[in-house]
Amino acid sequence: MSTSAAAPLLEVRDLGKRFGGLTALAGVSFSVSAGETIGVMGANGAGKTTLFSLIAGNARPSTGSIALDGQRIDGLSPDKICRLGVARTFQIVKPFPGLTVLENLRTAAMFGRVALTDRGRADRHAMAVLDEIGMTELAAAPAFTLTLAAQKRLEVARAIATGARIVLLDEVMAGLTGTEVAQMLETLRRIRDSRGLTLVVIEHVMQALMKLCTRIVVLHHGERIAEGTPEAIGRDQRVLSVYFGAATT
Amino acid sequence: MGGAATRGWLGAGIVGIALLAALPFFANPYLVATGLTLLMWLALTQSWCVLSKMTGYVSLGHVVFYGIGAYLVVITWQSWPLPLAIAAAGALAALFAVVIGLPVLRVRGPYFVILTFGIAELVKYSILAGEAASGTASRILFGAPDLLVIYFAMFALAAAATLLLVLVSRSRFGQGLRSLRENEEAAETLGVPVVRYKLLAFVLSAAIPGMVGAVMALRSTYFVVGQVFDPMISVTVIAMALLGGGDDARGPILGTLFLFIVSEVLWVRAPLAYMLILGAVLAGFVLLAPGGILGIVDSARARRARPA
Repeated sequence: MSTSAAAPLLEVRDLGKRFGGLTALAGVSFSVSAGETIGVMGANGAGKTTLFSLIAGNARPSTGSIALDGQRIDGLSPDKICRLGVARTFQIVKPFPGLTVLENLRTAAMFGRVALTDRGRADRHAMAVLDEIGMTELAAAPAFTLTLAAQKRLEVARAIATGARIVLLDEVMAGLTGTEVAQMLETLRRIRDSRGLTLVVIEHVMQALMKLCTRIVVLHHGERIAEGTPEAIGRDQRVLSVYFGAATT
Repeated sequence: MGGAATRGWLGAGIVGIALLAALPFFANPYLVATGLTLLMWLALTQSWCVLSKMTGYVSLGHVVFYGIGAYLVVITWQSWPLPLAIAAAGALAALFAVVIGLPVLRVRGPYFVILTFGIAELVKYSILAGEAASGTASRILFGAPDLLVIYFAMFALAAAATLLLVLVSRSRFGQGLRSLRENEEAAETLGVPVVRYKLLAFVLSAAIPGMVGAVMALRSTYFVVGQVFDPMISVTVIAMALLGGGDDARGPILGTLFLFIVSEVLWVRAPLAYMLILGAVLAGFVLLAPGGILGIVDSARARRARPA
């Protein structure tokens, strides 16, 4: 990294988002260093997906700032933010249904941070990602024919194929069977390590979050109520009371 | 698509081009005029596909560019040299697309369909009102060029429109357009500059119909606003594109040829049932073969290619 050693890869400061009278997110701050894997926890409606939409540029923040490598990115369009190295997946998968799996990744390789404008090079890059994620045999399949588990993997593959430095994963394990969750966990770990990725992970599968993350941020009604290592979060009284409704002993 | 299939398409294309290029030298004027109409539909349909097939923004107002081009040639008649007027018609249509593009391309699906239709009608009635206010209900054009000149001008436009769709369809730009057609938010999040790309596709698809309208205005010695802004032109273009199928340059060629030949034959053989049969054919395609002729051809080839 050429920027000052202290600057985190991603820094979110005092981030807020209002939809009319509804406050989806209020005064959330945290930072992510290169190579970290951060978990984002919270009940439905806590503001997790809104947080991702703000970082990726799909929505504009009402207050606060977002910086990538010390540069402000809030207010930029999603395509610009993607080219700077931030990729996200969607909780409700958004494949290009009429295109094949390879063509889905080709778009990411051609337009993302790697910007491989030559189709041959883009396809080779895409095939390497598919190989790593274990989808090579599905390369020629139209995306609409995939199972939900495969569509979730396609979301991840496509985000990684952009050549992003930081990948925001929005519930990529939700709705998967136990075996599929284990496979996804294994895949994510492997790709993160081989490509030196920084991950921010929203997940309801708590066990997965505990295994994958170095640090966890907890949101509740749009506010950050806790932050710490998975072990510390597991003992945090506020987190437990929010999740289980009462303080435990 | 395999190498043999590509060669097949290429061969058929070369034969078709040669046939259309040679037509005026052996055919009677009636056939030449028929060929001209075919080329006109081909140019319009190919250019429509650059926006609507590639991005999924289905325009029901393609005729507006045609009408604008025709109108420009008519009002500059005998004051501007013709080649300049035709080029200016293309530029004006493209400029119009730039102006309306940004607001219009913010809406998708049925809203876009209705909006483009409404804009075409709005322009038509604005020009009608202007003509009525200035007391010119229709204009007569003297000294239009020879049919042969018009024919080859249209030949060039059809070729240009086909080439444009071939290039767009194979390019990175085309990959971006297809992606935003399939899911605009996902495409944008993966780095596709969707706003710029949609506008560029809209402008590219507008220039050629502007020039086609300009050239076709020279065909009739007499100009009526309602005729060059006829919504049936937009509808016919969509029908041809749907019948052809696919999102590269082969679909419009097949669809244009098919609908053109079927309607010419029906027009002669069954003038009363003409529209009824045409409607049934269209409905049949939409219900039974939504992929169009190209879809049928490709799936038949895939079936043959599959080992038993």
